[in-house]
Amino acid sequence: MGRRKFVKGLSSALLGIAAPQVLRVSSSSGKTEKMPALEYRTLGKTGLKVTSVSMGVMNCSDPAVLLRAFDLGINFFDTADCYMGGRNEEMVGKAFQGKRDKVFIETKVHDHDEKQMRDSVETSLRRLRTDYVDVLLWHELHRPEEVSDGRLFEFMTKMKREGKARFTGFSAHSNMAGLLKEAAVTGHHDVALVSYNFTHSKKLKEAVATAAKSGIGVVAMKTQAGGYKKEKMGGFNPHQAALKYVLKDENISAAIPGVTTIEQIEESAAVMGTSLSRTEIDGLKTYHSFLQGRVCTMCGGCEGECAYGVPHSDLLRAMMYHDGYRNDRLAREALSVSSAAQAMERCSECPSCTIVCRRGVDIRAQIRLVQELFA
Amino acid sequence: MTKKGKGDAMIGSGKMVAVFCILMALLCHEPSSAGGIESLLPEELPKGWAVVEGPKTFNRKTLFEHIDGQAELFLKYGFMKSVFTGYQNSKRREDQIDLDLYDMGNGLQAFGVFSRHRNDNRPGGFGLDSYLDGQSAFFYQARYFVMLNSVEPNPSILKQMALAISFRIGDSSRPPREIGFFPQQGLKPGSIQYFSEGLLGHQFLKKGFQGAYFDGTKEFSLFIAMYKNAKESGHALKAYKDYLSKKGKVDLSSPTWSGDATIKGEDPYKGRMICIQKDSHLLGAVGFETLEAGEDRLKELMMNIR
Repeated sequence: MGRRKFVKGLSSALLGIAAPQVLRVSSSSGKTEKMPALEYRTLGKTGLKVTSVSMGVMNCSDPAVLLRAFDLGINFFDTADCYMGGRNEEMVGKAFQGKRDKVFIETKVHDHDEKQMRDSVETSLRRLRTDYVDVLLWHELHRPEEVSDGRLFEFMTKMKREGKARFTGFSAHSNMAGLLKEAAVTGHHDVALVSYNFTHSKKLKEAVATAAKSGIGVVAMKTQAGGYKKEKMGGFNPHQAALKYVLKDENISAAIPGVTTIEQIEESAAVMGTSLSRTEIDGLKTYHSFLQGRVCTMCGGCEGECAYGVPHSDLLRAMMYHDGYRNDRLAREALSVSSAAQAMERCSECPSCTIVCRRGVDIRAQIRLVQELFA
Repeated sequence: MTKKGKGDAMIGSGKMVAVFCILMALLCHEPSSAGGIESLLPEELPKGWAVVEGPKTFNRKTLFEHIDGQAELFLKYGFMKSVFTGYQNSKRREDQIDLDLYDMGNGLQAFGVFSRHRNDNRPGGFGLDSYLDGQSAFFYQARYFVMLNSVEPNPSILKQMALAISFRIGDSSRPPREIGFFPQQGLKPGSIQYFSEGLLGHQFLKKGFQGAYFDGTKEFSLFIAMYKNAKESGHALKAYKDYLSKKGKVDLSSPTWSGDATIKGEDPYKGRMICIQKDSHLLGAVGFETLEAGEDRLKELMMNIR
């Protein structure tokens, strides 16, 4: 995706800047704190009012993070039967014991024969310490025909009838546009959980709109498009910007960033009610380049790999500023340090480069470019 | 050729044979490096069982295709590559076992991912540590985490296969030494976990180990947070204190044995806590009922780390 096209796509999402916060008393500490202003959205035809920033529990292992999310006002939590061998569901159940009526819980089941699926749901309910889940999803559908599979639909209908699940749907990590379009036609599903972030195509955005229009509550996962260390992006917070980008799409009922710490859930919750700034749009463009492996992320993985001991990272940083941030002033600043000047000179004399990037960045080409541009 | 020259040649060829033998021995003991991760799969299967799917290998980019969202956890623990194979009982075709063998890069990461999956102490007697129940078996050994899941209850078949894989891995590396630092008294068996980030749900605690204890009335945790140097652990201690000041309580008194770099107080989500900086580590106890129980175990942990 070219920069112009990318920025154009994001610009349509620009609104005013706001960072609403309210003072509330934390139920855990009893202290008055600045809390995010909560934004609720309707989860499609389920009618559930879920917080636009909800929580993907998958990688979280500490109940304190769940309780902090609850304190912040987040009310929708996604887990699955298989995460950490069931340990994840157990933690959710334990953390929300006594609070069950104040949260919405989503879990998942895999496609097997009916007995196994029934056992799986029963086990999930036991671990979650509840007699129902708010949303039960098929875990990871791949093909449109699975979305309209009568056998699966029949099982889900039974789960609803038996009061084990209030609403049902499916999750998908691939072929999402095709699955959402099929789901919009069949009408079997109340909720769809799909990967959705700023790296995805217009086609997916359209499919999300079609599904939402048909009454499906669309929940976005993988909203961050991978991890990145924000301290290496000059103060720009790609996590918040990525989340804002997802929530700009009003067809998304909720985003469930996968968080593991109290600090991450606080950072995510603070996004509610805010909007993308121009700086964040530019930052996301850079972030996108990082993710595509076009630009060095300064991960440090190649440090010390030059056979001649040249400290090449200054050159790569200059390219990051040039290509990612479009800021040649910063690039020149990075090159003004003596180690960079030395590296530039020594690299230009070198007939071969032995440095290998694990993310696939062509380091030799990057160094050549910086020499051409700034030598 | 002179006599001396002939002798030298013989010595030279003898050396070559020795080098060859050493290389062969190494290759035999390290099948992973010789034949790739697939070479660790069991060659001989339990009677009546056959491969029905795979082997299929996955890397960092393709792991999502195989285990969907769960891949994220593995990636956080340095996942390198994995191999999957499906087995089937020839008499009862619905009776199947899935085997996933993950190369996690090193023993610490392998232990980490193992510890995050174990939800009970049910050792199976294979690998460096293991879990076995009717329908699943998993263990870690060297840099590998191995997981077997069965549709039907098959504990003996699972164990047999796990032992075969363990034998093929063959590496006799020891468990992470930090496990041995945790005091035994009151320790909940099988509760020690390694977190590659977000220990106790805090960004500033970063990576480290956590173990569960029972003080007679309540379960609490001991932890070891690990940093590059004392400067970093000092910063983290300050961050912890700031967090408690804002959201919990800080108690200004410190135990006499712990030194100045100590914080004591109340965590809003975990209850009473005490945390001590020791060189590049932060050591702590959280969630204890009686101060003595928390302090005694922590004192012991502190002494074990030398």
